[in-house]
Amino acid sequence: MLATRDGIRGLPRALAALLVALGVGTASPAHAQSGPIKIGLLPPVTGPLATPGRDMVDGFKLFWEQAGYKAGGRTVEIVVADTTCNPDQALTQARRVVHQEKVQFMVGPLCGHEGPAVAQVSKETGVPLVMDAAGADVITKWDRTPTVVRTAVSASQIGHPWGDYLYRELGLRNVTFIGQDYTWGHEVTLGAVRTYTELGGKVAKIIWNPIGTRDYGPTIAAIPKDTDGVSAVVVGVDRVRLFEAWFNFGMDKKLKIFGGYWLHQDVLPQMDDRAIGLIGNSLHYAAGLETPENRAFTDAFARKHKRLPSWFAESAYTAALWTKTAIDSINGTVEDRAAFLRAMRTVRVNAPRGPVRMDEYDNPIQNVYISRIQKIKHPLLGDVLTNVPFKTYEAVSQFWKWTPAEFLKRGPYKR
Amino acid sequence: MPRAGRIALALTALTAAVLLPQVAGPFWTGLVTQMYIFGLLALSVDLLLGHAGLFSLCHASFFAMAAYTTAILQVRYAVPTALAAPAGVLAGTLLALVLGLAVRTRGVYFILITIAFGYVVWGVAHRWSSFTGGDNGVTNVPFPAVGAWRVESHTEYYYLVLAVVLLCALGYRILVASPFGLALRGIKASETRMRSLGFACGLHLYAAFVVSGALASLAGVLYVYYNRFVNPVAASFPVSVEAALMAIIGGTGTIVGPFIGSWIMLGLRNWVSSFFALYASVMGLVFIAVVLWAPDGLVGLAGRLRARAQKAGAG
Repeated sequence: MLATRDGIRGLPRALAALLVALGVGTASPAHAQSGPIKIGLLPPVTGPLATPGRDMVDGFKLFWEQAGYKAGGRTVEIVVADTTCNPDQALTQARRVVHQEKVQFMVGPLCGHEGPAVAQVSKETGVPLVMDAAGADVITKWDRTPTVVRTAVSASQIGHPWGDYLYRELGLRNVTFIGQDYTWGHEVTLGAVRTYTELGGKVAKIIWNPIGTRDYGPTIAAIPKDTDGVSAVVVGVDRVRLFEAWFNFGMDKKLKIFGGYWLHQDVLPQMDDRAIGLIGNSLHYAAGLETPENRAFTDAFARKHKRLPSWFAESAYTAALWTKTAIDSINGTVEDRAAFLRAMRTVRVNAPRGPVRMDEYDNPIQNVYISRIQKIKHPLLGDVLTNVPFKTYEAVSQFWKWTPAEFLKRGPYKR
Repeated sequence: MPRAGRIALALTALTAAVLLPQVAGPFWTGLVTQMYIFGLLALSVDLLLGHAGLFSLCHASFFAMAAYTTAILQVRYAVPTALAAPAGVLAGTLLALVLGLAVRTRGVYFILITIAFGYVVWGVAHRWSSFTGGDNGVTNVPFPAVGAWRVESHTEYYYLVLAVVLLCALGYRILVASPFGLALRGIKASETRMRSLGFACGLHLYAAFVVSGALASLAGVLYVYYNRFVNPVAASFPVSVEAALMAIIGGTGTIVGPFIGSWIMLGLRNWVSSFFALYASVMGLVFIAVVLWAPDGLVGLAGRLRARAQKAGAG
C-alpha cells in the first residue's frame, strides 16, 4: 500500500525529470559546436540506380577515411539514407536526416528527379544541400534555392562542348542523335544539338528512347542512310543494349558512333575489346586522366574496391573534398549556415577531375574531357578498359559561351 | 469486442493521434502524415476491391491528376487554395468519370484495362513536359491558405490531414453501411443474382468507381500540399500497386485495414531501409506471410485470434 502511494507520489517527479531530459535534449544543439559534424548522404542504395549509388557511397567514404573523418578540427560522422531513386522516399529520408539525425548539411541525391524533392527540404528547413550527381539544369538556373550549391555537373554543361566537338573536330555535318528520353537525356542531347547546329551542322534525326528500352534494333534501323555520324546519350542498362545491338547489326562496319554520354567506367566491365577505340564520353571526369590528383584517387579507390571509379565515385569524392575545404576555411563552424555556404561558394579545389570553382549560379566551372576507350595496364587491376581523355575543354561554364542572361531567357531544353 | 471496449480503443487511438506531434519529432509527424494520406488512397482502392470486388490498378492516375491540377494552379497561376484544392479533386473525379468505362469489363480484363489507363496518364505526365514539367515536375507548392487562415508548419498540416481523414472515414462508413454499400457487396458475392433481383449492376459499379476516384483525388491534393512538389512518379504504376497492397495487408473491406497497411508499408520502407539495405525483401516477406497466414489482412487475423480466445474462454 505504502509502495503504491510512493509510486504515485514519485510520478510527478519522474515526469518532471523526463521533461528536463527532453528539454536538455532539444537544447543540446547550442553545445554542438564542439561535437561531431554530421553529414547526411542521400544515395540510391537500392533500386534501378543502385550501382552508381554504391560508387557514390564508396567515393564519399574513401575521402573521409583518407581525411581521418576530421574537418575544421572536429570529427565527421556520415549518415547514409537510402533514397531508392524515388522522389517521395528521397523527401522523407531528407526530412529524416534533418530532423532525426540533426545533420548539419546534406550531400546528394543522385537521381535527377530526386533533386527538386531534396532541394525542397533544404528550402523549408534551411539546412544546406550540396547537390551531388543529380544534374537537372533548373536547379542552378531557373529554380535556384539559396541553400543549395552543386558540386557535380549541370546536364547541358557536358552537352555543349560535345556539339562543338562533333562539328569542329570530327567534322560531321549531318549527325543522328540517339538520346535517352527523360530530363537528363534531353538536356545533354539538346545542349549538344544547339552548339552543333549554331555552328552550321545539320541534324539528320533525333531518336529518343525511354529508359530501359529492350531492343535497340528499331533505333538502329531508323538511322537515316545519308547521316555521317551518330551521337549517343544513353544511361543505365541501355548503354550495354545499344553497344550490343550496334555490333550485332554490323553497324561498326558501316557508320561511326560517338558517345557523348555512353561508355562510363561502371559499365565497361560488361563490355569487351570491341569498345577499344570508341569515343566514350564528353564528361567532366574520365578515370584515365593523367594528373597527380587523379592518380592518387584512382589508385586508392582501386586498392580498396578492386575496380576503377566511375564519375559518380569521383563526384562524391570531390563533394567530400569540397565540403572539407570549406569547413576547414571556417574552422569547423558549420552551424553558421551562411558562413558554410559562402565558403562552399568561394573556395577553390583541385579535385581528381581537375580545378573546380563555383560560378555565380552555384554550379562548378570545370574542364570537360572528350575521352576514348582504351585498354590500359593498371598496376593493381591488370588489363582494364577505361576512358582516356584526349581533348580538354578547359573551364567550361554551365552557360557555355552565352551570357547567363541570354541562356536564362531562352528557357530549359525540352524536346 | 464489446461496444465499450471498441469505443475505448477508438478514443485511445484518437488521443494518441492528437498527441503525436507534441511527443514525436517533426520526422515522425511528417511520416505519419504521409501514412494517413496513403492510407486514404488505399481506402479509396478498397471501396472497389473490398466492397465491389474490382481490382483497380489505376488509382495513382486520379491521385496524380488531382495533385498536378492543384500544384499547377497554385504555382503557375497563383490560384488560392480555396479554389485550387477543390479544382484538384474535381479534375481527378472527372478523370474517374472517363476511366469509369472500365467497369464494362470484369476480372482480369478490368485489371488489364486499368493498368493501361494508368500508363496513359503516367505517359502524359512524363512526356508533356512543357505543361507538367516532365521529370522535374512542379515544385514550390506553398502550404494551403484559405483567407486569413494559413497552415504554417508540418505540425499544423498534420492536424488538417488528420481531420480530413477522420471525416472521410466517417463518410466512408456511412456509405458502405448504406443500401448502396450493401448492393456493392451483393454484386461482389454474385452479380447474376443481383441482376436477377433487378439491380442495375453496371451503374452501381460505375458510381462506386467515381466515388473511389474522388477519394483518391482528395488524397492526391493532401499529398501535394504535404510534399510541396509533384512529379510523374506520383502517377506511376508502383503507386497504384502499393495502394492495393496496403489494403490487402491491412485487410480489405474494412476501414482501419488500409490505414494499418499504409503504416506497415511506409514504416518498413522508411525505417527498415535506414539500417537494412534489403528492405524490399522484408516487404516481400511480409506480403507473402499475409497472403499465406492472414488472407483477410491483419484486421481479419486479429478478428480470428479474438474469436479463438473467446472460444477458449467459453470452453
